[in-house]
Amino acid sequence: MADHSYKDSILALRDVSMQFKGEVVLRDISLDVRDVVRPGVSQGQVVGFYGRSGIGKSVLCRIIAGLLPPSTGTVQVGTPARPVCPGDVGFVQQRYPLFDHRTLLDNLLVAAERKHAPAEAKARAEDYLARFDLAPHRRKYPAMLSGGQRQRAAIAQQLLCSEHLIILDEPFSGLDIAMIDEVKKIIMEVTLLDELNTVVIVSHDLATTTALADTLWLLAPERDAAGQCLPGATVNKKHQYNLAEMGLAWQPGIQAKPEFVQLIEHLKDEIRHS
Amino acid sequence: MLKDLFIPNARPHRSVFLTMVGGQVLLLLLLWLFYPLQLFPTLGEVLGSFKELVTSQGLIQELWASLTTALGALAIATVLALAISYLTALPFFRPIAYAASKMRYLTLTGLTFFMALMVSNGHQVKLSVLVFGATVYLVTGMTSVILTTTQEEMDHARTLGMSEWRSFYEVVVLGKLDEMLEVVRQNFAIIWTMITLVETLYQSEGGIGLLLYKQNRYLHLAGVVAIQLVILATGALQDYTFEFLRRLFFPYSDLTTAK
Repeated sequence: MADHSYKDSILALRDVSMQFKGEVVLRDISLDVRDVVRPGVSQGQVVGFYGRSGIGKSVLCRIIAGLLPPSTGTVQVGTPARPVCPGDVGFVQQRYPLFDHRTLLDNLLVAAERKHAPAEAKARAEDYLARFDLAPHRRKYPAMLSGGQRQRAAIAQQLLCSEHLIILDEPFSGLDIAMIDEVKKIIMEVTLLDELNTVVIVSHDLATTTALADTLWLLAPERDAAGQCLPGATVNKKHQYNLAEMGLAWQPGIQAKPEFVQLIEHLKDEIRHS
Repeated sequence: MLKDLFIPNARPHRSVFLTMVGGQVLLLLLLWLFYPLQLFPTLGEVLGSFKELVTSQGLIQELWASLTTALGALAIATVLALAISYLTALPFFRPIAYAASKMRYLTLTGLTFFMALMVSNGHQVKLSVLVFGATVYLVTGMTSVILTTTQEEMDHARTLGMSEWRSFYEVVVLGKLDEMLEVVRQNFAIIWTMITLVETLYQSEGGIGLLLYKQNRYLHLAGVVAIQLVILATGALQDYTFEFLRRLFFPYSDLTTAK
């Protein structure tokens, strides 16, 4: 067992269900993310979130981000826990949206000023520009940035005004291996910024995401005793993986371990049969 | 080099392109000079008529009168159309925008009659008809721009903790201001179409429309062509000015356009 313990709740979903025009999309989802504490290490949490295309991952992300109220159930964030509101959870969507009419610096400032006084906001925006290697591009408009720069800017913008939670939707999609390494580095940097920082990675890249994560969620339909699919997808207990407990978290070179390879194969089977 | 002119999406050298434009204009002028039909006035006749219109009929003054009226109407119509379009954020005002958009099917002649009953003098009638006509077209274009707002854009603003009004202001008002200016540029032409008609109906204030009407009435075809060319040149200059303003105030606007 890994040398770690759990403290305060950062995110809690209770019996979340979602219906659109009578069609059940998500059903009875209860999930928790708690502050995982490792002696001598100040590090946040990384959750890998998987599921087949079109199963409702984006809907659940929007619910977690407070953008869409669930049909039933609750989402609570922070310590002490409170119902989620838009702005509590950062959400970097697939195409890394930024305000195209603002320069990069302005994009960060407009986010930072949501939480801080102008002088403090300016200092924080400058800090993030430097930290994410974006300082030389501060006067550029988003359309002038490369895909990687745009992604870093979108993450920085969300970090500047969200509390501690940030959802990244498909952060590795369409990237070459060097860019994937860069994004991994950014995610690790985000988790190292604060003990409570938590990154939820929605991805189809199982190996890359699992190697970063300490928790995995797999959204899939459940079957009844007769083997029939129940309406709506859920993340049942079987599909909530605590990698820290499994001894598969926070290890460099974890991808070469046989247990890790077995887990990836298991996840692939679970997704195929879902 | 020259073959680039006939390859889809090619980017010919600037000098080649300018030479091509010059050649096309020259060809047009030559066709005009040697046009066999007598129905269409010759280039010389048009130039002569232009000179006469400027020196003895006050073409420049009439153009200025029409231009200032058109710009005044456009300014008022733009403010009104922006207000109506932005208010579509509130469900209560959506029927107003819908109705305003559909009113572009109303005929101008019927409209001037009602306007004449409602306002006191000829200038007011002219201005109110132009404002009304331009507003309904602008509302149509502006609401179309607003409707291009995506869920992703609004969600992005909301995830930054912006309220619904602040999100709307950031994404729709600030974010689409450049597209609104483009809508205004495109619809400015409709004012020129209307102003020539309205000036004919209300002749007391003159204007280039009245001048055109008189040339038509007395079958001065050279004068008609000269005035039309003046209007065309003014419109082209307007377009250029709007493009310039867009590049000046919204430098990000063209960054995603295919070159």
